[in-house]
Amino acid sequence: MGRLSTQMTRKNKRLLAASLLVTMGVMLLMPIIMAIPALAGGGGAPAGGPPPDVVAAQKEAAEGEGEEEKIEMGRDVYYKTEGPAVGMPAPKTEDNETFYPRYNFESRVLLWFANQQHLYYGSFVLAVPIFCMCIEFAGMVSKDKAMAKKYDQLAYDFIKISLTAYSLTAILGGILIFTFLTLYPAFFGYLSSIFRPVMHIYALMFVAESGTLYIYYYGWDKMREGILKWIHVSMSVILNVIGTVLMFLANSWIAFMMSPAGVDEQGRYLGNIWHVLHTALWNPLNVHRILGNMAFGGGVVAAYAAYRFLSSKTDEERAHYDWMGYIAMSLGVAFLIPLPFAGYWLMREVYAYRQQMGITLMGGLLAWLFIIQATMIGILFLTTNYYLWQALGRMTGGERFQKYIKYLVFILVVGLLIFITPHTIVMTPAELKAMGGQQHPVLGNYGVMSAKNGGINAIIMTTILSFIWYQRGNRVPTVSWAKFGNIFMGCFFLIAQLNNVWLACYGYFIPANVRIGLSVPQVAGTLSCLILMTPLNLAMLKGGRQLGPIQWGKIPPRSQYALIMLATAFTWMMGLMGYIRSSVRLFWHVNEIMRDNSPWAYTHTIGFAANVISFNVLFFWISIMFVFWLGTLGAKKAPVTGPVTQPVPGTPAPQPVTGH
Amino acid sequence: MVDLIKEAISIGWPVFLLLIGLLLYLQAKLSDPGEKKSATFKIMIGMLCAFLVFVAIANYKNNFYGESRLLPVSLVMITVMAFIMGMYFPNIGALMKIGGFMFFVAAALSGYGNWLPQVEGGFPPPEVKLDFQSMTAQQLGDEGEKIIFGGIGQSKTQGAIGKGQCPLCHGFQQGFLSERAPNLFDIPARATKRLEEPNYHMNDAASRPSVQKEAFEGSGTATNAQEYIAESHACPSCYVVPGFGVKGSNDTESPMPKIHKPPISLTLGELAAVDTWMYVREGLESPSYEEITASYEKFIPEADRPAEGGEEEAGPAGGVLADGSEPMDKLFMKAGCPGCHTVPGIEGATGKVGPVLYEGSNAPNRIKDPGYKGKAKSVREYVTESILDPSVYVVKDFPDNQMPKDFGVKLSAGAVNKIVDYLSQLKEGQPLPPKE
Repeated sequence: MGRLSTQMTRKNKRLLAASLLVTMGVMLLMPIIMAIPALAGGGGAPAGGPPPDVVAAQKEAAEGEGEEEKIEMGRDVYYKTEGPAVGMPAPKTEDNETFYPRYNFESRVLLWFANQQHLYYGSFVLAVPIFCMCIEFAGMVSKDKAMAKKYDQLAYDFIKISLTAYSLTAILGGILIFTFLTLYPAFFGYLSSIFRPVMHIYALMFVAESGTLYIYYYGWDKMREGILKWIHVSMSVILNVIGTVLMFLANSWIAFMMSPAGVDEQGRYLGNIWHVLHTALWNPLNVHRILGNMAFGGGVVAAYAAYRFLSSKTDEERAHYDWMGYIAMSLGVAFLIPLPFAGYWLMREVYAYRQQMGITLMGGLLAWLFIIQATMIGILFLTTNYYLWQALGRMTGGERFQKYIKYLVFILVVGLLIFITPHTIVMTPAELKAMGGQQHPVLGNYGVMSAKNGGINAIIMTTILSFIWYQRGNRVPTVSWAKFGNIFMGCFFLIAQLNNVWLACYGYFIPANVRIGLSVPQVAGTLSCLILMTPLNLAMLKGGRQLGPIQWGKIPPRSQYALIMLATAFTWMMGLMGYIRSSVRLFWHVNEIMRDNSPWAYTHTIGFAANVISFNVLFFWISIMFVFWLGTLGAKKAPVTGPVTQPVPGTPAPQPVTGH
Repeated sequence: MVDLIKEAISIGWPVFLLLIGLLLYLQAKLSDPGEKKSATFKIMIGMLCAFLVFVAIANYKNNFYGESRLLPVSLVMITVMAFIMGMYFPNIGALMKIGGFMFFVAAALSGYGNWLPQVEGGFPPPEVKLDFQSMTAQQLGDEGEKIIFGGIGQSKTQGAIGKGQCPLCHGFQQGFLSERAPNLFDIPARATKRLEEPNYHMNDAASRPSVQKEAFEGSGTATNAQEYIAESHACPSCYVVPGFGVKGSNDTESPMPKIHKPPISLTLGELAAVDTWMYVREGLESPSYEEITASYEKFIPEADRPAEGGEEEAGPAGGVLADGSEPMDKLFMKAGCPGCHTVPGIEGATGKVGPVLYEGSNAPNRIKDPGYKGKAKSVREYVTESILDPSVYVVKDFPDNQMPKDFGVKLSAGAVNKIVDYLSQLKEGQPLPPKE
C-alpha cells in the first residue's frame, strides 16, 4: 500500500511537473500566438516616424500648401499593390547635426562596430542551442548509456558557454540601439515607424528566448530521466523556434534596407506589414544566415575546445577537449559546405531584384572583396584538410595514409592558385588604357570561370577524400565486396577529377556564355563524391577490423591552431561578407527610398574595410575569451574517470571534466 | 618613426611608470639574487611588450584614415608581443599563443586587403531639386551649360560633355571643329536667316523635301528664331542644314536624335535652360522661360514630353558618364553611342554619323586590313582599342577625328568592358546577344 502510494506520489509529481512546463511553454510561445493576428491583419498604422522636429517641419509644409488631411493611396514599390499611405514619408535628410549627430569620429564606423559585435554574439547564441538540441537528442536515443551520458555532458557544456555569452548579446543589442538613436536618429526613427507593428513581438520574443533558455539550462539536472527528458529536449526545440523567429525578424530590417517593400516610392508605409517583412531578399538572407551562424558557432566552440586543450594539465582534459574540438569542427564544416549554395541563391535573388546591385557586387566596386572571399574559402578548406591529417596521427593505422598527403597538398595548392586568379580585373580607366584591355596579358589567359570552378572542385573533392581517409584511419573494411568497393571508389574519384579537369581546360575553347554551363557537370561530380562515396565508405567500414583505438588527446598541439585558424577565418569572412552586403546599398539608407546624406555616404577602400573587419574580429575574440575565462571560474573540478581511448572514429569516449 | 615612439610614450607612460615602480619595488623587496634577476628580466620583457602594444596603438591612432595600409603592422607588433609573453609567462602561455596566432591571421588578412588595388566609391552626386521656372536668366543659362558641357565654365573646353551630349557633334565656339553638325556659335541670330531659306518652307510644311514634314501632324513650322531652335531639337529632320544630312539622303534626313526622346530625353525645363544659355553666352537677352517652353509645346505633343522629375538623376560619381552598373540600353545612351552609331538591339541607337557596330563581324576583317596599324589581335581587343583610341583605325568612307578620344576617362572600366562585351557579340545576320 505504502509502495503504491509512493508510486502515485511520484506519478503525480511528474504530472504536475509536466503540466507546469507545458503551461510555461505556452506562455513563452504567447508572443508568436499574439503575432499571428497582427501579421494576418497587416498590422496597424505606425504611429512612430522621423524625429518630432522633422515631422513638425513636414506637417507645416503640408499645411502651408493648404492641403487637407486625407489618406492618400500609394503604390507598393515592390509588390505593385495599392494601399493607404498611412505612414510618414522617409525623411529627406541633410548633412547636419539634426539628422546626423556626431562625435569627433566617423559615425558609420562606430555603428559598424556595434552592429558587428552584436551580430557575432547573436549568431553564436543562436547557433549553439541548435547544436545542443542535436547532441542532446543523439544522447537521449543512444542505447549505450555511457555514450548517452557523454553526449548529454557535451550538450550541457555547449549551452553553458552560450549562456555566458547570452547576457553579453543583450548588452550589445542595447548598445547598438543607443548607437542608432544617438548617431542616426532620423534613419532609426523611420525604420522603427515602419516596423512598429512587429516591434513589440520582437521584444516579447526576446523575453521568451531568455525564459526558455534559463529553464532549459537550470532544469537540466531536474529533467534527466523519462518523460521529463523528452520535455527537456522539446524545450530545446521551442528555444530554437523562438531563436529562429527572432533572427528572421532582425533579418527583415536589413532585407528591407536592401530591397524595400510594403512602402510607396516616398517611403510611406501602406498598411501591410507582411509585405514589409517579406521582401525580395528576406528568405535568401534567412537561409544564408542560419547556415552561416551554424558554421560560425561550430568554429567558436572548436576554438574554445582548442584553448582548453592547449591549457589542459591532464591527459583526461586533453582527451575531452580534443573530442569536443573534433565534434565542433565537424559540425561547423558540415554547415560550411552548403553555405556557398545559399550564397548563390542570395546572389541570384539580388540580380533578379536589381541587376546593377549584382554588378556592383560581382563585377564592380566591390568585386575585389570577392577575390578575398575566394582566398578565404581556399584557406578554410586547406585548414580543414590539415586538421584531418593531423587527426590521423591519433589513430593506430593512420600512418598508412601519411605518405600520400604530399600529393593532396599539391592538388590543394594548385587548385587554390587557380581558384584565386582573377580573369577580368576591376580597374580605373587609366589602368585599362595602360593594359589595353580588362585582362592581364599573362594572368588573363588563366583565370576563366571553368578553370576556377575546376580549382575549387578539386579542393572540395580532395577534402572529401581526406575525410574518407580519416574515417578509415584505424579501420580496415572486411565486407566481402571490399576489394570491389575500393576499386569502384578509386575509379569514381578518378573519373570525377578527370571530368573536372577536362571541363576546366575545355572552357578555354568555347565562348563565355557556353562556358558558364560547364559549372553544372563540374559541381555534379563533386557532389556525387560527397553524397555517394561517404555513405559507401561507412557501409564498407561496418563491422570492419580495428587496427587500434583512437587516442583522444594524442593529437599534436599544432592541430589546435588549425581549429583556431578555422574559427578566426570564419569570423573574418563573416565580417567581410556582412560588409559587402551592407555596402552594396552605396549611398542609400533604404535602397532607392531613403538617401544617405551623411558625410560618410561613400564606400571605403578595401584596405580600410579590411582593417575595420580585423579590429572587429579581434575585439570579438578578446571579449569572448574573457567570457570563456568567466565560464571556467564557475566550473568546479570533477574527478575524471574512464578511458581516454575510443575505438570508433567520430564517436566519443572521453569523460567530462566538469560537473553540473 | 620617432613621432610614433613619442606618441606611444605619451599614451602609455602610466603603464611604463607602473612597471618601473614594480621593478624598483621588487629590487628592494627580493633578497635572493636569482629571484631578483628573474623578476628584473620578466619586467624588462613586460616593458618591451608594453612598448610594442603602445606603438601599435599609436600607429592605429595616427594612420587610421591617412596611411591605413600601415595598420596591419600594428597587428604584427601585437602578434610578436603575444608570442614573447607566451614564451616567458608560461601560466598564460596558451592564451597568449592563441591570441598571438589570431592576431597573426588577422594581420595577414588585413595585409592582403591593403595589398590589393584600392578602389573607393566616391560621394553620390548632390540631390538638387531644380525649379527652372523661378530661375533668373543667368541661373537658367548656367544650368544649360551644365546640361550641354557637364559644368559651368566648361563650354570653352574641347571635349567637355554633359547630359545633353550636344558637343559630340556640334561645335559651340567659333573655330571649333564641327564636321558632323552645324557649329552653333551665333545661332540665335542665324536662326532667323534659316527661316528665310527656300528649303525651309515657312508656313508651308507640306512642300518640304524632308522625310518628315512636321514635328507632328498640324504642328506647322517655326515662325521665329526661338521656334526654329525648338523645332530643330524636337524634329531634326523637319529641316536639314545643307551638307549635314544622313549620307545619301540628299539632306532630307538628319542624323540627330530627337532631343526629348531617348537616349537624351531632356525635359522642357532642361531644354529652356539649354536655349537660354545659347542667348546669354552671347550677351543677348533671352526669351522668357514661358516663351521658350511655349515654343517647345508647339512641336512636342503633351504625351511625348518627358516628365519633369525635378531632381537630378543619381549618376555615377567621379565625373564619368557611366560606371557600368546601368542596364545595357541606358549604358549606351549615357555613353552617347546612339547619337552617331546604329547599334542593333539598343533602343534608340539609330545614329548614322558613324558605322553600324556589327563588331563581331567587322573586327576580324579590319584587323586583317593592310591599313590597320593597331595592336589588337582579337575582336574584344579591337573594340576596346577603337573606343579608347578611335584614330588608330578609321573605317573607310568615314572621316577621322569625328569620335571623341576621351572615352578612356569618360567611361569607367566596367562600362567599357560591358560595351565591348555587347559589341563583340554583334554579328550581321545572327541573333542579337543577350543584354546582360
